[in-house]
Amino acid sequence: MTQDTHNDFDNEASADAEVTSSARALHDAIADPISRRDLLRALTALGFASASGGVLWGLLEATIPRYPAQHWHKSVCRYCGTGCGVMVGMNEAGVAEVRGDPEAHNAGKLCIKGSLLPLLNKAPGRLKYPMVRKNGTLVRASWETAMNVVAAQFKEAIAQYGPNSVAYYGSGQLSIEETYTANKLFKAGIGTNNVDGNPRLCMSSAAVGYTKTFGKDEPAGCYEDIDHADVFFIIGANPAECHQPLFERIKTRKASHPKTVIICVDPRRTLTAERSDLHLAPRPGSDLLLLWAMAHAIVEGKVFDEDFVRDHVAFQGPEGRVGWEGLCAFLADYAPEKVQERVGIPAAQIRNVASLFAGSRATMSLWTMGLNQRVDGVALNTTMNALHLITGQINKRGATPMSLTGQANACGGVRDTGSLAHLLPHGRFVNNSQHRHEMEQLWGVPAGRIQPTPGLDAIHLFQAMNDGEVKCVLNMCTNPAQSMPNLDSYAKGMERSFFVVVDAFEDTLSMRHADVVLPAALWIEKEGVFGQSERRYQLVEKLLSPPGEARSDLEILIDLAERLGLDDVVTAKTAPEVWEEYRELSSHSKYDFSGMTRARLREHRGLQWPCPSEEHPGTARRYMPGDPFVPAGKDHYFYGKPDGRAVVHLTPYERRSEEPDDEYPLVLNTGRILEQWHTGTMTDRIAPIRNGTPRGHFEMHGFDARRLDIGDGDTVEVKSRYGRLEGPCRVTTNTLVGTVFATFYDSELPINVLVTDRHDPVSKQPDFKTTAVSVRKLG
Amino acid sequence: MTFAILVSMIGSGLVFLLFLGAYLVTRHPARHWKHLPPISLGVTTISAVAFYKITALVSFTVLPVATVSVATYRLFEGAKEVQSCASCHVMQPMVTDLSDPRSTTLAARHVQNGWISKAACYRCHSGYGFNGTLAAKLEGYRHLVRYTTGTFEEPIASRALFDQASCLHCHGETPAFLGVNSHRIGMPQFASNELSCLNCHGLAHPTRKERTPGSLRYAELMAPNDAAKPVDRHVGTTEDAPR
Repeated sequence: MTQDTHNDFDNEASADAEVTSSARALHDAIADPISRRDLLRALTALGFASASGGVLWGLLEATIPRYPAQHWHKSVCRYCGTGCGVMVGMNEAGVAEVRGDPEAHNAGKLCIKGSLLPLLNKAPGRLKYPMVRKNGTLVRASWETAMNVVAAQFKEAIAQYGPNSVAYYGSGQLSIEETYTANKLFKAGIGTNNVDGNPRLCMSSAAVGYTKTFGKDEPAGCYEDIDHADVFFIIGANPAECHQPLFERIKTRKASHPKTVIICVDPRRTLTAERSDLHLAPRPGSDLLLLWAMAHAIVEGKVFDEDFVRDHVAFQGPEGRVGWEGLCAFLADYAPEKVQERVGIPAAQIRNVASLFAGSRATMSLWTMGLNQRVDGVALNTTMNALHLITGQINKRGATPMSLTGQANACGGVRDTGSLAHLLPHGRFVNNSQHRHEMEQLWGVPAGRIQPTPGLDAIHLFQAMNDGEVKCVLNMCTNPAQSMPNLDSYAKGMERSFFVVVDAFEDTLSMRHADVVLPAALWIEKEGVFGQSERRYQLVEKLLSPPGEARSDLEILIDLAERLGLDDVVTAKTAPEVWEEYRELSSHSKYDFSGMTRARLREHRGLQWPCPSEEHPGTARRYMPGDPFVPAGKDHYFYGKPDGRAVVHLTPYERRSEEPDDEYPLVLNTGRILEQWHTGTMTDRIAPIRNGTPRGHFEMHGFDARRLDIGDGDTVEVKSRYGRLEGPCRVTTNTLVGTVFATFYDSELPINVLVTDRHDPVSKQPDFKTTAVSVRKLG
Repeated sequence: MTFAILVSMIGSGLVFLLFLGAYLVTRHPARHWKHLPPISLGVTTISAVAFYKITALVSFTVLPVATVSVATYRLFEGAKEVQSCASCHVMQPMVTDLSDPRSTTLAARHVQNGWISKAACYRCHSGYGFNGTLAAKLEGYRHLVRYTTGTFEEPIASRALFDQASCLHCHGETPAFLGVNSHRIGMPQFASNELSCLNCHGLAHPTRKERTPGSLRYAELMAPNDAAKPVDRHVGTTEDAPR
């Protein structure tokens, strides 16, 4: 196409002014499809289109609906002992969102409590400044005044009545650094072993059970065993509500391996029981009989692991070591037929469960308070371990006895640091002179500073407060006025002693008895290491400032140490400094986690001890290859025992629980629900949880309700030998006939008023599960 | 629905163009083409002017509109298919995971249990109604631009808020859902996307760590055929180490 031709056509066209635009377009198309003008037009159109596309892209990028969080930080959930990894999403206003950490053991899963963590720090009722009681009323005070009052009272009591007149009552929710410091301050500084805490109420039987069996506390296995187990034996636990992400993991195992069997042993038909394949509901207080009957069936059916027992297991009878014959003789009293009536489970079903337990490729047991909070808690724990030992269901993937913990740091913070009245760090005992001397040397205090006798455990501490023997108590991060059993009796002691309450929230029941109240930082308002149920230590970093004048519990402890003139004992002043001291200390024990530097904890989603060097990946399973303390060439080695053999304790069943009688014909069992946690100090202040959960109430089987003429929702009076309460009653079929169930989160219905303070003679853990009560309809 | 709206918009535009053409022809007759002989179409004979006008209309209006309509339909409908998402290689791990029988992700469970059998990506990643579709298309366009301009990093992560209306649309009113107290407690936060369903129910897709090039799982996730191999779901499979 030439320029001339184009011009000719142009001239011709312009000669006729009425040529239609469509004709021109047609002609243009035929005559000159790519004229310069058209090219420019096309390029312009293309440019416009591109620009439009670009502008659209820019607009979309700018207006994309985004999550409110601007930056994310790895942390750990504040609540239970599962120790879920969380990702905390922050913005200018604080915590915007919390998500499960996909890379942590919980694989991104949390429960509703963890999901609502963004509401925790800004929940109403945070304590913001210290308070001192004057003329019966708590009034605001400066830190200086409040701490002076505390230090003066402690000094005076120590000077006048000796170091055992003061005590520390702590929590499985403080960081390792905090509890370790408190333990050191009291045992090596003040010189009293009166160091105890709420873990005494929740897992001391498990700790004693592991120690008696393996020589060392803490589980051998890990959560990952869930992914390999073929039989789950869940007894005295309700993980579907209390350790939900773990139960989700069990369900995942079941979904991918449908032949997996979940057995739940619980007198209540809990959510866990509903989702299990088998639910066995033993009569309250009878499950030691059930366990020994299972052992009987296993031995009788010859489904035990003969080789494992021969090489790695010892038997301890009441009179001393016995052999296999000793076990057989002991079990003669526990034939399923003999115990079925008392247990309330048919012999055939006991044998069936025993067969599943012993015969599976890998059996994992999980338990919590149903076994621990019992007058025979230690026996239940050692017997549970024994079932795994005689069947060889241990030290292989998926096979392990696993005690789950209730609090975020009861394992790492209290059991491992030895912050109970009878313990010293890393599995040492107060009443062992070698252990004491070793700790005195490591802590650099004079020989004899640590007293040779155990201090007061929780029950006896509060009794001593009642009796006026203990004058001053530092109570940190726990609410004993709601969580102790036989509450009314111990309220007197809290009232009588000089009671210092350190907490993050105001108006807890304990605060009503406080002489001084100190406001504490909560969760990510401070830094610290937390150790959950599977020996995994995880770092919680500081992401927020505490409200008002609140301080971390560590700062409070260090301040107190300085005011008591003990800063030469408590030398590490910050959380990283304490960690360095404590990490080094661990290298002198079989807990050795000296490889867990702060930097590694920042990087990893926790590490499991033993972890003896910075190159060590941590130990998922103890007592087998992979554990740095198992000698090369040994498949199993229980190094906590001198002969390397784990011990089966032949502890006979005795009727120690409260039995129902004519006056108190029913048995009260207490527990938790999914949405609320412990005494509700935190969860019951979070509006969606408070509004969405029922207030405290009793639950009773329809048969009992009918007999007592109680309708659903009626107000009832429940009486025990310890106290009485009035509250609504729900009629259900989930509880066993003859039992009553209640939770303990509602401070308006403090259920522990009714609960017995009978306790295990060894672990001193109270029995929150079997109290004889009577119920009467009111009105 | 969306497509019907778009087609009716295009159709009404076409009718408008027809009337405009008729108006222009009446107003500006092409007189200087009058002398051209009429053109026979076999069944009838029409003037050359009419023939060329019809040809122009078909060429410049009817055919392009039809083509664009069909292409748009194909694009809009085709973009709903999983394979459309898989055409960007960064999406392959998510797509592989859907059919991996060992996977426990929410996406894999929804697909493999037959809860969502078709258009799996689109079903969850688009809102409901016209706005939802429009937002999904715009988001898809953003992804396309990001991908073609190479302005992304592996492992990819969507910055956009996931609208849990997609979850609640199917689950929100079922007795099983409402029977769970945690659902009732968190319902306002689920609806406002402040509280993620994934917190309790697990991850929707493979983790970012797994999707990072060089990770142990990366090669597996990028190879759809390997992951789709059937796995024996019975107890004691090879995935479990021997005792």
